Amino acid sequence: MKNLTLRELSKTYFDPYAGAHLTAVHDVSLTVQQGEFVSIVGPSGCGKTTLLNMIAGFIPVSGGEILLDGRAVKGPGPERGVVFQSFALFPWKTVLENVAFGPKMRGLPRPECESVAREYLALAGLAHAADRYPNELSGGMQQRVGVVRALANNPDVLLMDEPFASVDAQTRMTLQEELTRIWQERRPTIIFITHDVGEAVFLADRVVVLSKGRVLKELGVALPRPRAWDLVIEDSAYKAVSAEVLHLVRSA
Amino acid sequence: MLAARPRFSRPLAAATFLAPLLVLLLLWEGLVRGFGVDPRVFPNVESVARAGFDTLQDGSLLRHVGASLGRVAVGTALAIVISIPLGVAMGLSPVVSGFLTPLFRFFSVLAGIAWIPIATLWFGYGFGAITFVIFNAVFFVVAYNTLLGVASIPLPLRHAAASLGAGGWTMLTQVLLPGALPNIVTGVRTGLGFAWRGLIAAEMIATNVGLGYMLFLARDFYRTEVIVFGMIVIGILWLLIDRLLLAPLERATIERWGMVHRA
Amino acid sequence: MTLLLKAWGLYARLTARYPAIRSIVPFIPVVALWAAVAEAEVFPRAFFPGPLEVARSFVSLVYKGILPDYLEDSLLRLAVGTAAGMALGIPLGVLVGLNARARAMLWPVLLFFQAIGDIAWLPILLIWFGFSLTTMTFVIVYTVLFPVVLNTALGVRRVPVELHRAARSLGASHARVVWEVVLPGALPNIMTGLRNGLGYGWRALIAAEIIVGTSGIGFLMFDARRAGSVVEILLGMIVLGLLWYIVDSWVLAPIERATGQRWGLVTQ
Repeated sequence: MKNLTLRELSKTYFDPYAGAHLTAVHDVSLTVQQGEFVSIVGPSGCGKTTLLNMIAGFIPVSGGEILLDGRAVKGPGPERGVVFQSFALFPWKTVLENVAFGPKMRGLPRPECESVAREYLALAGLAHAADRYPNELSGGMQQRVGVVRALANNPDVLLMDEPFASVDAQTRMTLQEELTRIWQERRPTIIFITHDVGEAVFLADRVVVLSKGRVLKELGVALPRPRAWDLVIEDSAYKAVSAEVLHLVRSA
Repeated sequence: MLAARPRFSRPLAAATFLAPLLVLLLLWEGLVRGFGVDPRVFPNVESVARAGFDTLQDGSLLRHVGASLGRVAVGTALAIVISIPLGVAMGLSPVVSGFLTPLFRFFSVLAGIAWIPIATLWFGYGFGAITFVIFNAVFFVVAYNTLLGVASIPLPLRHAAASLGAGGWTMLTQVLLPGALPNIVTGVRTGLGFAWRGLIAAEMIATNVGLGYMLFLARDFYRTEVIVFGMIVIGILWLLIDRLLLAPLERATIERWGMVHRA
Repeated sequence: MTLLLKAWGLYARLTARYPAIRSIVPFIPVVALWAAVAEAEVFPRAFFPGPLEVARSFVSLVYKGILPDYLEDSLLRLAVGTAAGMALGIPLGVLVGLNARARAMLWPVLLFFQAIGDIAWLPILLIWFGFSLTTMTFVIVYTVLFPVVLNTALGVRRVPVELHRAARSLGASHARVVWEVVLPGALPNIMTGLRNGLGYGWRALIAAEIIVGTSGIGFLMFDARRAGSVVEILLGMIVLGLLWYIVDSWVLAPIERATGQRWGLVTQ
């Protein structure tokens, strides 16, 4: 079982303007099981993005350790795929070339890279856009490409940094439903960062509430799957959990 | 959160700029001494400093720098005074500006050094020819950029000003010039760059006073320390022109108005 | 009046179909004006010849093989110098762009040496290498180097950090990130650097050919000046202007635009 374990993870840095050390993340410990969908939610500045950047290997860790499948991680790597809020698609590559990038980096021969890419594009319903460039697509489509680009590399963990924050509300709901569908089909391990409480509860098996760099509480979400917004939004269990999470977030 | 600027930012910036150059100076001295380089090939720091001090003492440095800067000043001032109004006039009408753009583009592309031979033929050697080359470089580039700048001011903007009662002079000073200013400033920077190069080149062959001449004369006598000193002076002068004249100009216009136009 | 309007309509339709015409037609009245001023002998004929004489000289020089030879020499030097300048400048620009320490150390040095300018190096280069090809190549490489390095560095820095991170988290090594992300991302700026570099480069070439001169268009002009032959000076200038105009407007600028627009990036 390829679990992700965070053990007393912390991050401090020196702020020249404050003239002092600031702690963004305080002794966060968390275990994510393989195939689990975990949302990390919290107000702005609670350290969730910093946490994700550490897991992804983009910034160094100040204290504690990150273990994937029992082994410590260092620096970015294909076993931890990332989906960015700004999509981060390569503007000079076509959609197909973008999705094929990961396989290409792994050294797969060209025809195989292409077939893997096409397979994942089909998964997201984007087969028709394969030869387009990112700036020709809408925001929602670009992020779909971002998601399957990370998935095409078969990561052990998929890290998603507020991926739907840059799209409009309706597209967001569609993308959330699609994400759950893709997750159910492929069962990647997902860590999803957001400040949107409703989104966090809708998507996840487990919600971790972060505040001021610490874990406030973890809540399980027992809603049945597959989840669709028109049903979930009326569900009393959903409302209860969301209310509790919202209360925690706002009072922190 | 407003970022506070540390109190020592200006001198600090100057220090970070100078530090690598000082390192270079030390490296220079170290290499020349260490490898025992023939002073006729490359001088050491001390001889350059001494040569520089000599030229300062006997007044020749002042003479040369004065001549060079004088030519630049005259040529540039004359060029700007003529080219900006001309550029504005040309840029006003979309038909006229569309027609004249390829012409001025051609001439601005040719501006500067390429005119040296014909300038010496028309004006003989000396002040006239060199100043012409400078004038030429600045004139065409600034005229072209001004034309582009004015032509790219959206017509609705000009209509709006007119319907708010702007007359000719007001239109010029409140709408056209500010609107075209980023392009004009870019043109001045480029034109001055070409002019400076043209100056040095022309002074090497067409006169007997000036920085270019100083360099070329020193070459005849293998006085590399004078050459290197002259090169450093040229570098410093251009950096001064850039930092003290052009950069503030660009900051005051382009950045202030948040517009970035490209010629 | 209607004749004028008809001609105007014809012009508009022609330029819509063949936009190149718009770049050529404006020169016609200029040439006509030139011919008129020359004919009227406003300036002595020896100082201000007309277009016909220049054209005749063009034909004669081409026939004698002189012009093509000189042109080839000039262009070859420019091409070699530019290629070397880019081969040096792009990697240096990438280094300066990516590495903050390199930037702090090298940026002031680059700015200072750029300020000295290519031409000021000629006297010392003449001492070192004499009136040779090496001298001229050095000048061109020097000239092209700085715009290329500075613009490349700028382009590299403007590649969003997320693209770096995305590539790394897709399994790219540092080297591959440079090749697959940084260089393509900086390409529009590199093109701008090339364009600027060439603009200064050919001017440096002409100056070098004038001062060092053994062959080339610059030498043609200066030699003609020594002989007092204005016609060939003008010819040289026109050839230069046309050449650069064509290369810049119809080769470099479109490439710069295309790389920037195609990928939805903003060019400097």
